[in-house]
Amino acid sequence: MAALQLLVNGVALGAAYALVALGFVLVLNATSAVNFAQGDLVMAGGLLAAALAPLIPLPGIVLLPVVLVLMAALGLLLALAAYLPLRRRPPVSVFISTIAVGIILQNGAAILFGPEPRAAPPLFGDDTLHIAGLAVPEQSLAIVAVAALLIGAQQWVFARTQLGRRLRATAQDPEMARACGVPVTAMILVTFAIGTACAGAAGLLLANRYFVTPTSGGDLILKAYIAVTVGGWGSVPGAVAGALLIALFEVGVSSVLSYPMALGALYLTLLAVLVLRPQGLFGEAVRRRG
Amino acid sequence: MRRALSLLIGLLAASSCPSSAVRADDTLSFPVLVPLTGFLSLEGTSQRNGAVLALRQTPAGVAIASEVVDTGTSPEAAVTALERAAGRGTVGAVAASMLGTQMLAMLPLAQELKLPLVTVSGTASITEQGNPWVFRFFPGDAVTKAAHARYVVEELGRRQPAIIYQTTAYGQSGKAHLDAAFKALGVTPVFEEGVDPAAKDLLPVLTKALAAKPDVLVLHLHSSPTALLLRQAASSGVTLPIVAGSAMHQPSTAALLEPAELKGVCAETAASPISGDTPEVRAFTDAYRAAFGKEPDAFALGQYDGITMVLEAVKAGARSPDAIRKALSSETFKGLAMTYKSDGKGNMAHSAVIVCYDGASRVPTLVKRYDDPTLAAK
Amino acid sequence: MGVGALALLAYALAFASPYGLRVLTVAGVYALATFGFQIVFGLGGALSLAQGAFFGVGAYVTGILGSRYGLGFEATFPLSMLVPLLLALPVGLAVLRLDSHYFALATLGIAQVLHLLAVNLPELTGGSNGLAGVPAAVLFGWAVPRGLPMAGLVWGLVALGGLIGWRLARGRLGRSLTMLRDDPLAAATLGLDVGRLRLAAFGISALFAGAAGALAVHTQRVVSPEVLEFPVMISILTVAIVGGRGRMAGAVVGAVLLLHLPEWFRFLERGYLVVYGAALLATVVLAPEGLTGLLDRIAARLAGRRPRAMADAKEPPLPPIRSEGLTVEGLRKSFGGVRAVDGVSLDLRPGTVTGLIGPNGSGKSTVVNLLSGLERSDAGRVLLGGREVTGARADRLARAGLARSFQAAALPQGAGVLEAVAAARLAFDPDTATAEAHARWALDRLGVGHLAGQSCDGLPAALRRRVELARALLRRPAVLLLDEPAAGLTDGEKAELAALLRELAGEGMAILLVEHDMGFLLPLAGRVLCLDRGRVIYDGPADGVRHDVAVSAAYLGSSRSNPAVSA
Repeated sequence: MAALQLLVNGVALGAAYALVALGFVLVLNATSAVNFAQGDLVMAGGLLAAALAPLIPLPGIVLLPVVLVLMAALGLLLALAAYLPLRRRPPVSVFISTIAVGIILQNGAAILFGPEPRAAPPLFGDDTLHIAGLAVPEQSLAIVAVAALLIGAQQWVFARTQLGRRLRATAQDPEMARACGVPVTAMILVTFAIGTACAGAAGLLLANRYFVTPTSGGDLILKAYIAVTVGGWGSVPGAVAGALLIALFEVGVSSVLSYPMALGALYLTLLAVLVLRPQGLFGEAVRRRG
Repeated sequence: MRRALSLLIGLLAASSCPSSAVRADDTLSFPVLVPLTGFLSLEGTSQRNGAVLALRQTPAGVAIASEVVDTGTSPEAAVTALERAAGRGTVGAVAASMLGTQMLAMLPLAQELKLPLVTVSGTASITEQGNPWVFRFFPGDAVTKAAHARYVVEELGRRQPAIIYQTTAYGQSGKAHLDAAFKALGVTPVFEEGVDPAAKDLLPVLTKALAAKPDVLVLHLHSSPTALLLRQAASSGVTLPIVAGSAMHQPSTAALLEPAELKGVCAETAASPISGDTPEVRAFTDAYRAAFGKEPDAFALGQYDGITMVLEAVKAGARSPDAIRKALSSETFKGLAMTYKSDGKGNMAHSAVIVCYDGASRVPTLVKRYDDPTLAAK
Repeated sequence: MGVGALALLAYALAFASPYGLRVLTVAGVYALATFGFQIVFGLGGALSLAQGAFFGVGAYVTGILGSRYGLGFEATFPLSMLVPLLLALPVGLAVLRLDSHYFALATLGIAQVLHLLAVNLPELTGGSNGLAGVPAAVLFGWAVPRGLPMAGLVWGLVALGGLIGWRLARGRLGRSLTMLRDDPLAAATLGLDVGRLRLAAFGISALFAGAAGALAVHTQRVVSPEVLEFPVMISILTVAIVGGRGRMAGAVVGAVLLLHLPEWFRFLERGYLVVYGAALLATVVLAPEGLTGLLDRIAARLAGRRPRAMADAKEPPLPPIRSEGLTVEGLRKSFGGVRAVDGVSLDLRPGTVTGLIGPNGSGKSTVVNLLSGLERSDAGRVLLGGREVTGARADRLARAGLARSFQAAALPQGAGVLEAVAAARLAFDPDTATAEAHARWALDRLGVGHLAGQSCDGLPAALRRRVELARALLRRPAVLLLDEPAAGLTDGEKAELAALLRELAGEGMAILLVEHDMGFLLPLAGRVLCLDRGRVIYDGPADGVRHDVAVSAAYLGSSRSNPAVSA
């Protein structure tokens, strides 16, 4: 029973990490840029939701669209300030510029919202369902559902829609895409907006169950980076698998070994995976540029 | 060439020269060097606010000045901040970081510069360095953990505690003292495990702790992990009594939970200003709320008491850091949280309290006060 | 650079307060750590996220030995460099061949494990509280006091480390690493051992980081897990990029600026880091090549570019034994079930030109990749100069006398022509000056000696091919594999190329020419092989190929629009 309960919690945590990784992969696939501010964007989304909650005393599902829109606007700002001026430079420049944005977000949030940990409202309700002896918080179900929905939506957009084809073309070869009449800059802006809105959704969901402080972004980006890389640079299923792998260690292995030992085991497993499968679990989805 | 040279020198010198230190000679400055960014920013901000509030009570006839500098979380930044503060006017005393590692780094420099450090750090070792310049206005881990263990054993009558602590300086130091305190009471914990502060799901450690069949859960975690564990315990239907560490008493921790989730939870702390046991503490809490729009905690109150004692010494005629040090190490001061008196090593606070939540309110009530719990335990 | 050094010195001696000196000292520590990072990442292009961890290990070695065992600086400092090195070598061997982000993740994993150990081994490390009471640096019985002497010690070591780093960067190692970063495949075919070079760079980076960590601990007098945390790594990375990637001066400029920047905005209490972030962003956006790149551009505008003195051309020595060419038997390679190369045998004799033709996708490029060691064959035997080299890596083959060119001339961006060509001799010559002298000889021989001082960027296609050919030729290979060298050339240029190739063959070189252009190939080649779907369908004299039924069928069957055969 305890094992099943841990599995339920592990899946919820894995879905939460997958949500964090999702926006990161999206931007990565469209621009080959590592957005190191992703963790801080999730934090910003969470704090935004927590700050809006007293103004809109309704369940999170009503708050979610507001957070998505505001975060999408923040994403446009991020692209304009930290990506577009650097698009012809080596990818590491964007790495640094997004680190700078992360510093601004983290400390700006501390000034605006204070250092206290906060909780965002739950998406639907705060109750815990008891199914066959298992305690399943409604919020955990909400996290898994939203993660599945967003991942599915992203896959569908990329595979089936005109927008998705244009985004993919932009990602593969921006020069060629431009020559074929794809508005490349607009596509990049859209990608950043969607990726940041994803971060907002993740922030809102995580901040209810796991709380949020201005410093919580650092750990999240580390986890997202690990998930995306071990899964296969740029592969969405890979990122989900990576996120679940991290959660497996944090919840599953740590229920047998201690938490620090479980983390150690996670990193040693990562090294083993990399030595045995140098291209990640799921292979690469994007060719690196330069 | 020459222009470039002087420009570069000027730029660097601008950062270093005590340009703002053009003050009257008799101005005493009381820099506040605390962590405002990073993982300890919550506690550091309380420290800052407590010190700033205390510094508003300017003693008659003495000009005082103050500047708040963030020390982040690295020892390096703390030492740099101390050196910076020392270069600006006459420093009376320093309100210094509650992060133990930063204190340990600042101590040798404070001794060289001859500056008293007034802190609320609980880390035991800062007063064990034989350094006469440190003054701790918060009970050290030896005191709080003795109270913690004694409440569990003597008041609750539990003898099989499971201890869950944080793998940070705060947690590891507290865990070591909990071990010692339980040992002194003849109790061996049935379970002990450390958790990373970044851990998102605490069910694994909770499950393991419960599997060891404890009769009480003893926590020593930071603010949001404490709330996380309490919430998971509540949703798993845990009915054991829970006695948490000082982070629980912080109003921001309780704010994360529903009052019902707090029912029966107790915590050790130096004081609980929002519980408002005396008119003086209520006045402090009101002033604090008015000034900062937040609820005060024991760290704010301890730092407030510490700086107030420093200012009392200034009122009494101390005009140099050394005179202030002498006053702090010899005088007795009746503060808001307790009465402070140095034990010769710079430990000023010797009392701890246990507060409990009734399940209806986020404001705890004081249930037990321990004065010098370590002495009594022996 | 002189101005900057003078300014720092004048500032330290005359203007700085104890606080200013401390910030300067910490800046020195970061500069030293970044020197190593400039070598492994800036020059080598390997995003090592273990640099912060090596810094932390150095710090812990000094912290533990100094506070627990009372050892002096002369013992702890070398050990603080040695322990990270000893850690870097085995770790490096395991993860060196990983590609960019996988390498970054692997090194990050190692850093995280070390951090966990520091936190959870309190008996050794003091746990999260760390160890207090680390002594000041004691140099031969003299405890270096804080302030000017400590700043002097740190900056003295920065100067020494910077000099060493600068010499390494300009020398063979630095050039080889740059080549590796810009094009790892081409680097391997030029004889550079990717693994060994990366391992060397990784080890050197660990030495620098360890030294910096030791000095950090002497400055702050305690050691705690904070030195192993990710922000240290981020700081080093930021210093490197803001200062100027790959440049030692950049590490110094970046460290001095980034360590002082927050101090300038201290009056903002909590807001100083927001300003710091904004300033960092502005610097990255406005100074693409870092601050040193910006300073260079300003200096160039003010003073004009000084032409670099170049060594005189010198003929590279011929390898002592002229080999017996290349013999291949039964070469086979599949990609995911598709046989790209299926039982190819060929024989490249010294002094001959052999042509390799076939429709698109017939496996020509795969054969060249297999022969040059960029791909590993599934089966088959390869003899180079009579020695078995089956399955040998590209760099070994290159050093054994094999050279190749690429279809798309692979010249590094932003590099000078001479530099790019000289890269081909880095694995052979004792120093860069000799390599450049030899490179001039090769450029002269191909009639492009006047390009030596120019940049590779913006060269017309024909000249790029010549430059690349010079690169292949320069090593005096016994076997030369050329992948479509005539593509995009005018008839006149083709004639010149043909003459050159004849001359080279006349000197005893064995040449394999992959070509579509039959008008160019057939008069030149003595013998021609035609591939179709990975199999050799024709192997015989060049004259016979036009009339061969199987060859015509292969071309017509796979691509009707290819007029090459009938041309």
